[in-house]
Amino acid sequence: MSGVRVGSRGLFNARCLRRRTASSFVSSSPSLPPIYLNSIFCSRTPSTSSYSLYSTATAAATTMSRPDITLYTAQTPNGIKISIALEELGLPYKVEKIDITKNTQKEPWFLEINPNGRIPALTDTFTDGSKIRLFESGSILTYLAEQYDKDHKISYPQGTREYYEQNSWLYFQNAGVGPMQGQANHFYRYAPERIEYGVNRYINETRRLYSVLDAHLAKSKSGYLVGDHISIADISHWGWVAAAGWAGVDIEEFPNLKAWEERMAAREGVEKGRHVPSPHTIKEVLKDKAKAEKIAQESKGWIQQGMKADAKH
Amino acid sequence: MTKPITVWLTPPGPNPWKVITILEELQVPYVIHSFKFDDVKKPPFIDINPNGRVPAIVDPNTNLLLWESGAIIQYLEEVYDTDNKLTYDSLNEKHLLNQYLHFQMSGQGPYFGQCGWFNALHSEKLPSAIDRYVKEDHRLLGVLNTVLEDKTWLVGDKCTFADLAFLPWNTRLDMALLTPPGEDPLAPYPNVQAWQKRMESRASWKKVLEVRSKLMDEQGLQPNGIPKGIKTFQEYEEHIASANEAKK
Repeated sequence: MSGVRVGSRGLFNARCLRRRTASSFVSSSPSLPPIYLNSIFCSRTPSTSSYSLYSTATAAATTMSRPDITLYTAQTPNGIKISIALEELGLPYKVEKIDITKNTQKEPWFLEINPNGRIPALTDTFTDGSKIRLFESGSILTYLAEQYDKDHKISYPQGTREYYEQNSWLYFQNAGVGPMQGQANHFYRYAPERIEYGVNRYINETRRLYSVLDAHLAKSKSGYLVGDHISIADISHWGWVAAAGWAGVDIEEFPNLKAWEERMAAREGVEKGRHVPSPHTIKEVLKDKAKAEKIAQESKGWIQQGMKADAKH
Repeated sequence: MTKPITVWLTPPGPNPWKVITILEELQVPYVIHSFKFDDVKKPPFIDINPNGRVPAIVDPNTNLLLWESGAIIQYLEEVYDTDNKLTYDSLNEKHLLNQYLHFQMSGQGPYFGQCGWFNALHSEKLPSAIDRYVKEDHRLLGVLNTVLEDKTWLVGDKCTFADLAFLPWNTRLDMALLTPPGEDPLAPYPNVQAWQKRMESRASWKKVLEVRSKLMDEQGLQPNGIPKGIKTFQEYEEHIASANEAKK
């Protein structure tokens, strides 16, 4: 996987072109920056593929290319979990940017991949040569760890104490921090009317969850949530904690969590992965209150449109 | 011989019952440490789960303490479901099971929970908040109904832990949506309704209901979670409202 060959539109089979304005990009080996493509991606089976992420030599030598990962994502805390994990692992992957402002994630072709109509989703060629489609960020992280993290760079071996503890924190994020901070975002930034009770309920629950993380990190010897190195439990939290201010939570209240967030941000994999599929700007945005409010106002429109569309089903 | 696993729980909420259902299905010995919901954020439980949420388990066989119901289910499956009664060891199926478990944990659980809060439990009625969560519940049910089209179970051809993870919250939907007595909130979703009935008819769930109602009774609660002496959800709401008023 020493190089990258980027396909042009001409290499794709015309029958699987999708009528969307999508900008795909190909990420690569750790030594190369992501390459943005103004092309349209289509799913391929390995046997008919004339397009490879690998160097020509590698592609020629491999009949079934694996990994053959396509990440369907947008610039959100859940989306960047996956690109950060992929970068930490140094895996090649294609990116399909999903325009959630246009409700692309509810289009039939995407619902085929994730019936829940949410990003991120991921497809890969499975060990049996057939395609696997995955959704739910926590489940995708587990998949990547089990399939591709043989050296346990971002996970722990199955059956170890650290493995099970990593799962506790992973679920804590997916069932706790994510949903609750998401509701705080809704009531603090997007709701059609200002409901103080709703704002306070979710900001306070997010603060409570952060205080659990903060107290736990205070005791951590490695500076990470589980064991002696980074794991998918940390990766799962980072985008949300980096966006604390968007939910009305002041990270200064949680010094250990703040230090952890900065420790994570200093990692090469996090730095690369966070800018997928478009630049991660939330930290800069939050420094400028007026800009943050302007973006929230703009987002309100498409978010409430999406909610209305959901309610029709 | 397997030593019994201790399960820490407060009886009214749905999440501990996922774990008990799995333990019953796998016939793993367990003891329940039942305590009051008022004490979840206090010692000794807060020392077991720093998040102050049930369930948590302590397994003396492996000397492991674990919390988050999804993580506990995966642990029990890995260690105690060696015959693959509720799981698959083929990789595709394994990850699809994981996917649906995460969908339950980050979708169905939190949203049914918030809906129940704003619709039934919170004293102040906030129409736009209620509307948000009722709609999301219906959306999630719609997704499940689509996924279950022409299918008996979520993954493969047998009931798995991923199916059973949805069972306890489904039984609380009437409260979350304030469904009139005698009506089935799942009726508009026939595939989900049939799936739920298949799960409820299992011996494990019958046992769960038995254990649960006994533990609820110990704490002066009726099987539906409402304190004894209060007949309907409406009456319960009034009771909560007056209790909140008294606190002020």
